[in-house]
Amino acid sequence: MVPRVWSLMRFLIKGSVAGGAVYLVYDQELLGPSDKSQAVLQRAEEVVPPAMYQLSQYVCEQTGLKMPQLPAPPKLNFHFRDTWNSGILTVMSALSVAPSKAREYSRDGWEYLKERIK
Amino acid sequence: MSESELGRKWDRCMADAVVKIGTGFGLGLVFSLTFFKRRMWPLAFGSGMGLGMAYSNCQHDFQAPYLLHGKYVKEQEQ
Repeated sequence: MVPRVWSLMRFLIKGSVAGGAVYLVYDQELLGPSDKSQAVLQRAEEVVPPAMYQLSQYVCEQTGLKMPQLPAPPKLNFHFRDTWNSGILTVMSALSVAPSKAREYSRDGWEYLKERIK
Repeated sequence: MSESELGRKWDRCMADAVVKIGTGFGLGLVFSLTFFKRRMWPLAFGSGMGLGMAYSNCQHDFQAPYLLHGKYVKEQEQ
């Protein structure tokens, strides 16, 4: 009798945990359209770091530990898209003028050699 | 499609993929721990489902300007 009640209780607890997880996903529309997912991610980015900071402060207060202050991460001002685009433009313009430049330099070199031979 | 709009679509796709794969993994983890005796396959199944849903959303998002929406019109019998 008791083992059956206990197994039923266990099944109900597991079922409620799994059902709660499924309901949470449905309620927050995590598996819905992409703009809803993007909004959820932005909300999480706003909420999670202050919550983690408050949790770490609480743990430090309760345990008496002192968290060392890490230096701020360096801010990179590197615009990958702009440098990539300008690099592509530079390479393509160099390739487009390469035949005429090669002809000009070879002509200049030939003139120089003719002058030297005279 | 302008470059800024393309960049926004890619950002949306990446965010959607992260959320959906994470959600699928989380649900798979819950079900693996509760009903499936800590097996690995619910995690793989959930992550794969999330990845597939994100891919489908991205594909629809990128093809959206070129999709033609039509409707059937019944011929009126005179």
